[in-house]
Amino acid sequence: MATTTATITLSSTDLLSDELALTTTATLTDAGNATGITSIGGLGRTNFTNNPIQSKVIYRSDDATTDGANKVYLKNLSTVATQFFTVLIDQQEMGRLYAGDWCLFPWAATGGVKEVFTTTIGGTWVVGETFEFDGVLITASSTDVNVIAPQVNNAYYPNWTTTIANDDEVTFTARHSMDAGTVVTATADIVIVQTGGSDATAVVSAAAMGTATSSDILVVPSVVTTMDLEHMVFKGKA
Amino acid sequence: MATTTAAVTLTSDLLSDAMSVTASTTCMKAGTTADGLDQLEYAVVEIATGDEYDLICSTPTASKASKLYVKNHSIDETYFVAITQNAQAIGKLYGGDWMFIPADFHDAAGDIAITSNGGTNKIEYALFHEGTVLTAT
Repeated sequence: MATTTATITLSSTDLLSDELALTTTATLTDAGNATGITSIGGLGRTNFTNNPIQSKVIYRSDDATTDGANKVYLKNLSTVATQFFTVLIDQQEMGRLYAGDWCLFPWAATGGVKEVFTTTIGGTWVVGETFEFDGVLITASSTDVNVIAPQVNNAYYPNWTTTIANDDEVTFTARHSMDAGTVVTATADIVIVQTGGSDATAVVSAAAMGTATSSDILVVPSVVTTMDLEHMVFKGKA
Repeated sequence: MATTTAAVTLTSDLLSDAMSVTASTTCMKAGTTADGLDQLEYAVVEIATGDEYDLICSTPTASKASKLYVKNHSIDETYFVAITQNAQAIGKLYGGDWMFIPADFHDAAGDIAITSNGGTNKIEYALFHEGTVLTAT
């Protein structure tokens, strides 16, 4: 079993009447047991240079286990004392990380629900007709819906993953949990370009709305000039 | 001024090469490089399973560079405390876990709250700050 540890040392010789010297080490494990964590989101460095100031999502709840024993490490690499990052979990401001400051905290990573819908490729298709969704264009290579549906399924969509069932039913699942408003809004984005009077269809046969995550980690720089954040996530199972 | 240093070392043999990340910071008042945090609340409390409690009783000055250290001393690995801020879940500190965060006590709703689970958890905490709003008697 791999061993991952986090050690903190808090020290001061002049804050109290005697020396403060506190050191403790935590071995990072999955939730509620002694099994060491098995996943680390590697050490990263993110630059912020935006005018106007823009926040960035550093870690998405979808990428960790809800209520897992996750830990997040952040460090402000700035050397200018007045520059700070405001750290937020979802909409809640945790605090300000000033130049050189670091933090380590447990992360609930409370996930949401990914929107999902199923479309059935049907009707009469003509070779060359197109199915377009999420910016991806698929051109029918056959008149057989059992050939076209796999074409739709085999494409790679930037915001959705797909599976296929019953040869002609393609299910789209959002990559990220979010509340997109209504399922109708999402599914209405499918565009079929028909030719020659065909009746090619991609009818939505099932759908379920998504809900937003509630503990994505965001940071906001205090200035528009360059600031850098160092970060790492330790992912513990629930 | 007082000089208080907070250092962290993160190590793991989970990767193909040993990982060791270290960081150290001198806890300064907001926006300064020459004036360290010079006030401290330091305590150990035992919290029984059940209600949610504010960990910090006074209100540190908002939007400053306060730092909060919390450790769960429970030795039962199934025990944990849930940490929240203004009803927003931060995460769970299991037995032996610790956290060190910048805490912006922007108002009473920004307090760090804690709920014990599994049994009575012994919690050690230290708040390094630059001033509090004391409650008048």
